[in-house]
Amino acid sequence: MEVEDLGHHISRRFNEDLEHVRNSVLAMGGLVEEQLDRATKALSDADSKLGLQVAEDDIKVNRMEVSIDEECSRILATRAPTASDLRLVVAIIKTITDLERIGDEAEKIGVLAARLASVERPSTNYREIRNLARHVKQMVHNALNAFARLDTKGALEVVKADDVVDEEYESIYRQGITFMMEDPRTISRIMDCTWLARALERIGDHAKNICEYVIFMVHGKDVRYTGVKNIEAEVAQGTRRQETRP
Amino acid sequence: MTLPSRWASQLGVLAAWLAAGALLGLMFGGMGWWLAAVLALYTGQTLRNLYRLDRMLEGHRRPAIFDTRGLWPEIFARVDRLRAKSRNRKKKYHRLLREVRESTGALQDGGIILNADHEIVWFNPAATRLLGLDPTVDIGNRLDNLLRHPDFVAYLAAPTPQGITLPSPKEESGWLTVQIIPYGKNQQLAIVRDITPEVKIERTRRDFVANASHELRSPLTVIAGYLDALADDEELPESWKAPFGEMQRQAERMTRILTDLLELTRLESSAGKAEHEFVDVAGVLELIAKEFQGAAGKATVTLHLESDAALLGSESELHSIFYNLINNAVRFTPPTGKVDVTWRTAGDEAEFEVTDTGIGIPEEQIPRITERFYRVDPGRSRASGGTGLGLAIVKHALQRHEGTLTIRSQELKGSTFTCRFPAARVVFRGGVTRAVL
Repeated sequence: MEVEDLGHHISRRFNEDLEHVRNSVLAMGGLVEEQLDRATKALSDADSKLGLQVAEDDIKVNRMEVSIDEECSRILATRAPTASDLRLVVAIIKTITDLERIGDEAEKIGVLAARLASVERPSTNYREIRNLARHVKQMVHNALNAFARLDTKGALEVVKADDVVDEEYESIYRQGITFMMEDPRTISRIMDCTWLARALERIGDHAKNICEYVIFMVHGKDVRYTGVKNIEAEVAQGTRRQETRP
Repeated sequence: MTLPSRWASQLGVLAAWLAAGALLGLMFGGMGWWLAAVLALYTGQTLRNLYRLDRMLEGHRRPAIFDTRGLWPEIFARVDRLRAKSRNRKKKYHRLLREVRESTGALQDGGIILNADHEIVWFNPAATRLLGLDPTVDIGNRLDNLLRHPDFVAYLAAPTPQGITLPSPKEESGWLTVQIIPYGKNQQLAIVRDITPEVKIERTRRDFVANASHELRSPLTVIAGYLDALADDEELPESWKAPFGEMQRQAERMTRILTDLLELTRLESSAGKAEHEFVDVAGVLELIAKEFQGAAGKATVTLHLESDAALLGSESELHSIFYNLINNAVRFTPPTGKVDVTWRTAGDEAEFEVTDTGIGIPEEQIPRITERFYRVDPGRSRASGGTGLGLAIVKHALQRHEGTLTIRSQELKGSTFTCRFPAARVVFRGGVTRAVL
């Protein structure tokens, strides 16, 4: 499906409805990105007030999810979309669930950052976690860009990047275990850090999911749980099919 | 009606052919056959010329024409001229377009053209550099689908000429301003500027002021403490009493300035909007008014609470807005004058108003009085004991509450300061809460 395909409906209202719901998803994505951004800022600046504010603002994300969900149900009920339109609506319903979960993880990060702000900080100021956060933020950003551009190649890149995030999480986890064995007094702090890293790692997974929906939306192939190799092949095949189509 | 000469000549050619046919018919007999043959020849020649013209219009070169008379050479020449003219014009537009493209490409600021639906029509390379737009896929995409910051999405829906400041989507800790300018028929131009250096300088300045104020405060506390102790000393010679009193007053003033400076930097550096605490405005105002009403030798302060509406905001910041405005009014009003403080609602919004019968402000100075350390008349503010920062604090604190400040004043008659708070910040009591938390 191409963006222009959206312009071929007999009913202009239907067109506008689809376009509107798509824009709402991206607006929700923007809000989630900002939440994540502020949550990680709360960690790096040891700003407990900001962290709690993020947790409080999660309700905005939830509200948006509910309203987009309602709109999708309405479109399904009244317009009975088919083919690429149906795929778009289905992909949107799934995408907002993942966006909402990213919002929840950002809320968790905010609360943990607020708690970590009041305890002693390591001299690196959580460099590994900030690094992980940067990767994850980039993933979310690129996933939403892929959604906006219907860019399956960009989506594929995000899917691949998830492995790096998993590795980074793994190393933070192992490092934490070492610290806790060396000095049991750090246990509560390290536990919080591990939870925080875990939340970031989960966000990476959700970004990856969104990209899989983008591939589904564009090529009509469900690529979940099939491995990076297969996704790569599907994207290449799908792109070729599209190029040869008159 | 006169025929153009080329038509006359073309008719002449036809007449000559017919005459030749007629002559041959007279000479050899069979007039009809000869005339038909001549007409067929003429038609053939015309068809051949039409064919050549068609080829020429398809882009082939001008054919070699040997006829010198009639309409055809003229037609070929004119088509050729038109073709040359359009070729030149095309070249000129090409050059112009290239120049425009090169100059917009050289621009440091990003430029994006949007249509009525906020879809991207065109953008320059700087927009790619600043926002990460991709020239191969992003034409036709909505700008707010790619630049998704909630503040920007809200701004795009209702653009103002002031523009908006956003964190850069590409550079960490980078900052951009985006300004949307409507033009033509529902078109919009978005100008994107990288303001990271300005933000850094501004931050350095703010940090410097905050640190300097903070560092100055500790020594000043020591000085003020000793001055207090010494001034109260019984053994202090009478001649020293006045200088000590003055020193005490000045030390106190310096402390106030430093406190105000710190307050101002705090307001400036707390990004975004004020929190949404429930603030009982009537209670706060009553407390402040009591402080002023007790003072002797000052203008009378009267409180008019016309509404029991409360505000959602920061209590300390709202207190400082109200306190500074009332304090200003009292300072610039003679003891015989009066100061009226009013709290009322206007529609969904709420208004705080301070009216005095003081010395007023010259009209041309009104826009500048909220600048820090700006003095209407160099002598008067210092004599009245102000820090020169009160209105700057009011302005910043109000901005954080999305409020507006209106100042009306007549010299020697008095001034009115009105703060207006938006509906989203106002809580109406009596069971009905119209504000959203």
